[in-house]
Amino acid sequence: MSAQDACRLPRPQNVYLLSADQELKNILTGLWDDGQLRLTCFERGRGAIEVLFNELPDLLIVDHDLPDMPGLDLVNLVKSENVYRQLPVILVIREESLLTGADWCSAEVDDLIVWPSTPARLKARVYLTIARASRAFDANPLSKLPGNTSIIQRIQEMIDRREDFALAYADLDYFKSFNDKYGFSRGDEVLMMSARIIVNTIRGFTGVRSFVGHVGGDDFVFILPPDKVELACQRIVENFDSIVPHFYDEDDRAKGYIQSTDREGNMRTFPLMAISIAVVFNIGGRLKHYGEASQIAMTLKKKAKENPKSNYVLDKRQA
Amino acid sequence: MAEDLKLERKNQILAVKDLPTLPKVLDEVSRLVRDPDSSTEQIAKLIAMDQVLSAKVLKMVNSPIYGFPGRISSIHHALVLLGFNVLRGVIVSTSVMDIMLQNMVGLWEHSVGCALASATVARHVGLKDVEDVSVAGLLHDLGKVVCAVQLPEMKTSIEAMVKAQDVTYIDAEKAVMGFGHDRVNAWIADHWKLPPAIKEGISYHHKPQLARLYPDVACCVHLGDFMVRLFEYGSGGDDSVLYLEPDVLKKLKLKPADLEKILDLLAEQFLEIADLSFV
Repeated sequence: MSAQDACRLPRPQNVYLLSADQELKNILTGLWDDGQLRLTCFERGRGAIEVLFNELPDLLIVDHDLPDMPGLDLVNLVKSENVYRQLPVILVIREESLLTGADWCSAEVDDLIVWPSTPARLKARVYLTIARASRAFDANPLSKLPGNTSIIQRIQEMIDRREDFALAYADLDYFKSFNDKYGFSRGDEVLMMSARIIVNTIRGFTGVRSFVGHVGGDDFVFILPPDKVELACQRIVENFDSIVPHFYDEDDRAKGYIQSTDREGNMRTFPLMAISIAVVFNIGGRLKHYGEASQIAMTLKKKAKENPKSNYVLDKRQA
Repeated sequence: MAEDLKLERKNQILAVKDLPTLPKVLDEVSRLVRDPDSSTEQIAKLIAMDQVLSAKVLKMVNSPIYGFPGRISSIHHALVLLGFNVLRGVIVSTSVMDIMLQNMVGLWEHSVGCALASATVARHVGLKDVEDVSVAGLLHDLGKVVCAVQLPEMKTSIEAMVKAQDVTYIDAEKAVMGFGHDRVNAWIADHWKLPPAIKEGISYHHKPQLARLYPDVACCVHLGDFMVRLFEYGSGGDDSVLYLEPDVLKKLKLKPADLEKILDLLAEQFLEIADLSFV
């Protein structure tokens, strides 16, 4: 097995190649025979556009010198539409065209292949661009932690392998009232702090498979082996409770509560923020689908939320 | 002193890339960080014995990269939020004090002693955030370290002046550089986005009456600095006992009898840390 085959992609990727260059097409087609990348080739730009708009690929490789239009014009046409903006694009360009200088500032191209190139280089470039795009696409913009797509994928993967694991959902109590009183940027500070606490606590368990994701807002997820999760919850609760008061103004911190408006618009007092964690276990292949895990967790979370203080609830039906 | 010369020196000071620490402390911290069984508490305790490492982790955790500048004043919290990987990076990028700076070992002892004394005062007067005071006490002479690294020729002149004319270190600093380490502390605190309580504690420990936001912290550090000199633990760069600002006792509501009590308490604690060897 070659080194490149070792880094497998999470799922098969659809790649469109727009080029009239027969050699480029031949090389790219020959690079993958394991079904990881499905290559669809178009010789002309105009013919490809309609297909593109209807069926978005995972990666677009565009020849700078298309027979019917400049490659960059096509790229800009596609990328100017916001629903297509996440699509990663590689431009294939010849050295001499590079020298004449393209308008790179307006070109929404993610990577460049200088043609002619070698098969190994082409393959590496394509792999890296796909991997980079999936990282960037699913990262939470604030914490940079993996988002929903990666979370679901990871959980389903472990369920499918019948791997034992504990899945924990954490969220903050009274975050909304904090946000309302102090504003979004102070709220973001708290989310960043919470993300750091969770990540570092989970990473503190060395030599085990673990995962931390940020569902969005004040919702976080982490995965650990079942025998480690309770200690992790204890540490997270302890660290959160000792650090969060520092994010309040001095007087509110001294009082131990804040005044803010509730959902009905009434002035109310709210305790300092706390963290609630609900833990679901998958032992002996109990779970079949990701949805089961999240459903059990939501029920548990209600129980955790009954307590205004930071706490965690473990799924008792784990056996 | 000409303003542009002061600005030039300020810029030179703030350009500091690396502060050296004592080899023994650094060795011990890196050993703990490598050991998977060691806890954040253990490491925090050890880092709190070193002004440079403490300042570095606080600088890092309060930097805008982490998204909550000016919020974290506790070493333990800083370690929880930074994580061990970043801590390893801090250790790798910290250099060990060279022969030129070996005479600063006394300053390390003085700083640890001041942290202890300031915290004891804070506890005695019933302040809530004793750890803030302790950290401010530890870092109160950080400006001296930064100046020694960035303006080494000035350090030589300051030391010569202290010796020849029997003036305090801060007066010699003002004569030689045009400003004292208290001013340097304020610059660093702003530049590194340290929390306001720490900033006030380290910028006003010589003139606590000027502290506006956290006068209690500045007063405790002032008194702590005074007391550690009474015990002659370590060295702040000169041999004189500081002038004790009388307002400080009033502000902290301390009577002479309280002072005696605190000094007794400290005497025991200093006996304990006297075993601690920095070289």
